[in-house]
Amino acid sequence: MAPNVQPKMKAFETKSKPAEIRSSNIEAAKAVADAIRTSLGPRGMDKMIQSGKGDVTITNDGATILKQMKLVHPAAKMLVELSKAQDVEAGDGTTSVVVLAGSFLEAAQKLLEKGIHPTVISESFQKASVKAVEILEAMATPMKLEDRHSLLMSATTSLGSKVVSQHSALLAPLAVDAVLKVIDPLKDHDVDLRDIRVIEKLGGTVDDTELVEGLVLDQRSAGSGGPTRMEKAKIGLIQFCISPPKTDMDNQVVVSDYNAMDRVLREERAYILNVAKQVKKAGCNVLLVQKSILRDAVSELALHFFDKMKIMVVKDIEREDIEFITKTLNCRPIASLDHFLPEYMASADLVESVPTGTSKVVKITGIQNVGKTVSVIVRGSNKLVLEEAARSLHDALCVIRCLVKKRFIIAGGGAPETELAYQLTQYAQGLPGVEAYCLRAFAESLEVIPMTLAENAGLNPIATVTDLRNKHACGFKSSGINVRKGAITNMLDEGVAQPLLVTTSAITLASETVRSILKIDDIVNALY
Amino acid sequence: MFSSSLSLPGRRTTGSSVRTQNVLAASSIANIVKSSLGPVGLDKMLVDDVGDVTITNDGATILNLLEVQHPAAKVLVELAQLQDQEVGDGTTSVVIVAAELLKNADELVKQKIHPTSVISGYRLACKEAVKYIQDNLTLTVDELGKDCLINAAKTSMSSKIISADANFFAAMCVDAANAVRVTDNKGQTIYPIKAINVLKAHGKSARESLLINGYALNCTVASQAMVKKITNAKIACLDFSLQKTKMKMGVQVLVTDPEKLDAIRQRESDITKERIQKILNAGANVILATGGIDDLCLKYFVEAGAMAVRRCKKSDLKRIAKATGATLLSSMANLEGEESFEASAVGEAAEVSTERICDDELIVIKGTKARTAASIILRGPNDFYCDEMERSVHDALCVVKRVLESKTLVVGGGAVEVALSIYLESFATSLSSREQLAIAEFAHSLLVIPKTLAVNAAKDATDLVAKMRSYHHSSQSKPEHANLKWIGLDLTEGTVRDNRQAGVFEPAVSKIKSLKFATEAAITILRIDDMIKLDSEDKNTQSYQNAYECGQLDG
Repeated sequence: MAPNVQPKMKAFETKSKPAEIRSSNIEAAKAVADAIRTSLGPRGMDKMIQSGKGDVTITNDGATILKQMKLVHPAAKMLVELSKAQDVEAGDGTTSVVVLAGSFLEAAQKLLEKGIHPTVISESFQKASVKAVEILEAMATPMKLEDRHSLLMSATTSLGSKVVSQHSALLAPLAVDAVLKVIDPLKDHDVDLRDIRVIEKLGGTVDDTELVEGLVLDQRSAGSGGPTRMEKAKIGLIQFCISPPKTDMDNQVVVSDYNAMDRVLREERAYILNVAKQVKKAGCNVLLVQKSILRDAVSELALHFFDKMKIMVVKDIEREDIEFITKTLNCRPIASLDHFLPEYMASADLVESVPTGTSKVVKITGIQNVGKTVSVIVRGSNKLVLEEAARSLHDALCVIRCLVKKRFIIAGGGAPETELAYQLTQYAQGLPGVEAYCLRAFAESLEVIPMTLAENAGLNPIATVTDLRNKHACGFKSSGINVRKGAITNMLDEGVAQPLLVTTSAITLASETVRSILKIDDIVNALY
Repeated sequence: MFSSSLSLPGRRTTGSSVRTQNVLAASSIANIVKSSLGPVGLDKMLVDDVGDVTITNDGATILNLLEVQHPAAKVLVELAQLQDQEVGDGTTSVVIVAAELLKNADELVKQKIHPTSVISGYRLACKEAVKYIQDNLTLTVDELGKDCLINAAKTSMSSKIISADANFFAAMCVDAANAVRVTDNKGQTIYPIKAINVLKAHGKSARESLLINGYALNCTVASQAMVKKITNAKIACLDFSLQKTKMKMGVQVLVTDPEKLDAIRQRESDITKERIQKILNAGANVILATGGIDDLCLKYFVEAGAMAVRRCKKSDLKRIAKATGATLLSSMANLEGEESFEASAVGEAAEVSTERICDDELIVIKGTKARTAASIILRGPNDFYCDEMERSVHDALCVVKRVLESKTLVVGGGAVEVALSIYLESFATSLSSREQLAIAEFAHSLLVIPKTLAVNAAKDATDLVAKMRSYHHSSQSKPEHANLKWIGLDLTEGTVRDNRQAGVFEPAVSKIKSLKFATEAAITILRIDDMIKLDSEDKNTQSYQNAYECGQLDG
């Protein structure tokens, strides 16, 4: 392990033969795929990762595992990137994409051993993936957003493999509702998940997770004597500070008379009071103040005035939350006191600071002309469960988003991969030359998904997969592995479905990564 | 095998060895706290690296002080902390149950039952158990009468150092909790036990602890010349200091004439003097401030016959303000931009006096106007004793609060666990899937509580548990024996008895939550089949080149 100190000259000479490099890359990438294989599917297990600092993460999410693992090998890093790409693109299927890539590489390795040129393999894989997407699109069932049953089905499937699967009856409808609420009717082919704010709060169990129509702020209301509950609230969001002003340059106030001392004190009070009065005059009774690092966003004195005026103050609002808040409340952030006018404010029926667990959150409900956003408060009995619950919820949200983007669903449980393997093999038989050979290898390697699912579930992989293949050959396109029953059944009847986008993007991304790994024939270590 | 080609900067363990390792870590944590469970459980003495000693019986405290390294064991420590926060009591038992669940699950996995089957079995069992508690094993406060509150507090204290005086302390806790009762804006009655101020003073015996119907403040009057007792007190709570005014940063006082120097000095103290005058004019005769009060300023208070207290804790003042109806002022500025002190900001109390307890003096505020308040002053022969008393009283207060708020109780002494175990066993046999085994193991795991209770009391655990099981079995199978479901352990006599009559009660919320938390924690650990420990990052980050040179990439 200890880094060898080498003479400088040698560093540029560490070149190896192309074949060796390629096999080293493939081995490294395969090892990554093998490492996360066990977390695939509803019977997949979790990984516990302890970082160098001692923080512990327990997760089932492929992208998170790989991100935490801090891999060294450049080819392995490509797979980490791959899973990240899938996370961005589809949000779910981050484990399967890596497992697929590993399997493709294994197939490629065998083809290389047979003496087939890497570029030929690469091109055939490209062709295969295009064909695969075509086949998938043909077998997918179109659905509508009104079809709540299908949406729920997909969300439940995505949650099935997580530690929170027992709560999927609660979380799946929650995810569906959350996404459906934020869809913009004018542009209903995409959803911005930033419109769904997920707040993690320790304490309680996952069962206590709730969807809040309105706004939830992580901060508590400031001030000691001020109100903590405000009905018929007029909310103002300000980006300036209510504290003694400072000039840009270093300044000194020189006092040479004792009367002036009183004035200094009074001026400060008068300044703050003026601000407070203007806020009050505009009819505002709930004030949200952006966090400031330069000085106190709200000084003690200002809080005192607001307490007296019965104005609720929530301070330390993060800069990046401002956009979300303005969107939800349909108000404008007010950057200077001159613009503190009633028309820039939002109204809500109730603003209340409620205790959750050990801390408090501020809930704003009954907002008038509410924006297309929602907040979700995730609860969990310990930090690890809480984080994992939030990650799982994110996956479920992404799945629904995929369905909004591309309204097709396909069966889950290894059904699409098996069907692809079957149809691609047949397609390959109609092709001439080496290409056919490569295509068949590609098709076969797709079976790694049902194989792993069966393996993780403790079934006999070979018997299960051959059975599955047989079913598909007989034309049962949505047959898949029913992990709970340990048998082959029609997955759509069982309610196991996934968005088409997840599978297509997994196959395209995996094959593209494999192609780029195959094309590498040299690694040069630049000296740093 | 993988780790070589995976080239991780750390160690990776996979498969069943991880699970066994995690289970082992969890069991060893549970073994530490095991002997402190129950009325005859013993205490632990913990010495930290500075040499500070803690003697305690409280599971959460013990685990907090242990510096646990193993990540799986940390999950259990967090579990105990969570139970402490959410319920306040039952921290030891939750850890023991979780560890036992894990141990039995590991056995099942070794018998080639897939962990996910075990997990789904546990989940089902937990759900059924909670339902069974709610339907069959709970008692409401109305059924049992007022005594049950005291009994519940006594049960919680029975395992602690103050068990000998449990009657005394239980009554004290119930009174204290009742004193802080408030109705929130939704019309619900809540008992914010945080508002009960628990003070420790060493000296005298535990029996001489006292409950004060008012607020005890751990401060003394600022000057010896002040009056020691004020009846019909008018209290002002200030969140600023009454010191000579200093100019803010950036304000420079420049004097050219030495004459003026004095004027400025004079003005500095006058500003504060005016403030004090305003406070006194508002009728206040007790001034509590979080900041300091200058000796110079004390003079004005002494002259006015008022009592001034400096450097009070802000949290104390907040509660006093609530109790007396005062407003905690962070500044004297009013809405005209001038300084004033309104009479409405002054709170009232029947009496404020300084009392001498131990070596310290306390300020006791009695007969508060707006709300009743309660403070408990604990006395004990040494500091460790006082600390442990505080923890025990806290636990008991939590129990009283839960009972008052939820109004449901279950019977203690292992009765619930045995009843659940019998019920779940018969429930398991009604299932034909592979979850059956897991549910049976869950049922079996619950018995660890009565067993440990009996073992700690040096009684024959096997015999006692068998007896209890037979009683509970007949209570569940024969309707005429339904009353046998209250049978629990009597650890002093070493027999079984009807714990409902004996008055051994626990809040139902506590039992239900601890079952849920324990199951969730066990499942979290069970699902892990791979552990990756990364090396700390301060070393040179490992590059591809290093890995290559070490021959790690030769797959």
